[in-house]
Amino acid sequence: MPKYLCIRRSQPRQTGTGGKPSPAQMEEMYAKFNAWKAKFQQNIVDLGGKLGSGGKVLTSDGATDGPFVEAKEVVGGFMILSAKDVEEAMEIARQCPGVVTPGSSLEIREISTP
Amino acid sequence: MTAPRLVEHFFRHEYGRLVAMLSCRVGVKHIEVVEDAVQSALMAALEKWTLAGLPDNPSAWLFRVAHNNLIGELRQRTRRRRILEQNAIEDIGTPENGSEIFLAGEVRDDLLGMLFHCCDEKIPVESQLVLALKTLCGFDIREIALRLFLSEANVYKRLSRARRRLQEIRPRLDGLTADQHSSRLPAVHQVLYLLFTEGYLSSHAEMAIRAELCNEAIRLAAILAEHPAGQTPETFALLALMHLHAARMTARQDPSGGLLLLKEQDRALWDWHRIQIGLEWLARSAQGNRFSRYHAEAGIAAEHCLAPSFQETRWEKVVECYSLLERIAPSPLHKLNRAVAVAEWQGPDAGLAVLRGFEPPAWLVGSYLWAAVLADLHRRCGHADTADRYREAALRSAPTPAVKELLRRRLRIGSFG
Repeated sequence: MPKYLCIRRSQPRQTGTGGKPSPAQMEEMYAKFNAWKAKFQQNIVDLGGKLGSGGKVLTSDGATDGPFVEAKEVVGGFMILSAKDVEEAMEIARQCPGVVTPGSSLEIREISTP
Repeated sequence: MTAPRLVEHFFRHEYGRLVAMLSCRVGVKHIEVVEDAVQSALMAALEKWTLAGLPDNPSAWLFRVAHNNLIGELRQRTRRRRILEQNAIEDIGTPENGSEIFLAGEVRDDLLGMLFHCCDEKIPVESQLVLALKTLCGFDIREIALRLFLSEANVYKRLSRARRRLQEIRPRLDGLTADQHSSRLPAVHQVLYLLFTEGYLSSHAEMAIRAELCNEAIRLAAILAEHPAGQTPETFALLALMHLHAARMTARQDPSGGLLLLKEQDRALWDWHRIQIGLEWLARSAQGNRFSRYHAEAGIAAEHCLAPSFQETRWEKVVECYSLLERIAPSPLHKLNRAVAVAEWQGPDAGLAVLRGFEPPAWLVGSYLWAAVLADLHRRCGHADTADRYREAALRSAPTPAVKELLRRRLRIGSFG
């Protein structure tokens, strides 16, 4: 089965207490995520993770510190899925709680193997 | 592979536990910093645990992270303000003995300590309740507003009032004295009672949401009953009352969410295990020389639980308990309830006689309860016109559609029973 790289882009998290989830909401998020993980265990090749906020950009001219692109397009995390086609990969990702939320997007690209 | 599971309400209860533990160590005046530190720890857990799975001891993991967050923040503040709060910080202990704390059962003491702090005499009662819900039960402002039928702004106001008081009072770091414990115990009982009745009596919200408040009240009362500071007959009676009411909660609604009269309830749906527990607490409460309002109310609940049917209820015992309750905690509502019980015992005329010459306060006259009871009693006495007048008044002031529907059924013109 082909593999897909899911790149999560999100706007920088707003600070302040307003947007913080409550313990009960966190509990719910945790339970939903685990349920999703159990359901698609076979499809998750690498659960990936959050990416650190700093980093380096390497070009032929040398290296610079981030940011790399516009702030709203910062890559926040990644995940590798296996699915029979991109539609299935999209469906799996869509069901993953917390991945596609207002203010964030997920880019799904097939990883071509020679 | 199944996902690792946490006990129900793990995050919420862990939140309460950690806030209590850490506040009792660094001082309740730092409660806001503590709450932030705990919140961040839970966020970190959410991210870490979903990816890497549960650690061996999730509670200890959370304690370590929350503790580190807190120390970091307090150190930074100390540096910034150039105020030496070093003592407070050293007092907090190291993460290593954090796991010992869990073993020592000190957590329960801290939760309880926090409950007593919430019930400081200088904090208004309505703020005490909000503070307890926030810090001990892990509800956020929106959730408290939902459960207490207040606006979020109102909850926020009450909460900041409570916090301001805690700042001013600057409670002692080493906890409360035995004297303070016993002088605050009535307030603690009151907050737990309020927490329970908010869940049990309100006819506004969904069942599930209300059951949660009741369960939280029972959880905290059980902790109180296990601690020397709280082991009084009143505490046991309070627990008995909560269990005996909660046991009948599910039977109070029909499948469509409508309210059912005690007479209509299917007694087989009552939680008999819970009734058993309630009766055990009731037995333990029967000691000492103080008969509290909780004793009276638990006694009434027990009579209902033990009656094989509505008709076979020992109404004379119920009336007796209401009379005692009226004497201990005078309230026109208790008189009204006694009238209802007397009517079941000795007939509607006797019920009306209880209320004869009684001048109810304006708030009661305007409530559907007063009108509904009078409508019912007059109808059963055959005073059709008076009954109709009260019936109309009751329907007009019914607070929710569910209550209105119940009244319609109960007060049907020409119906008997």
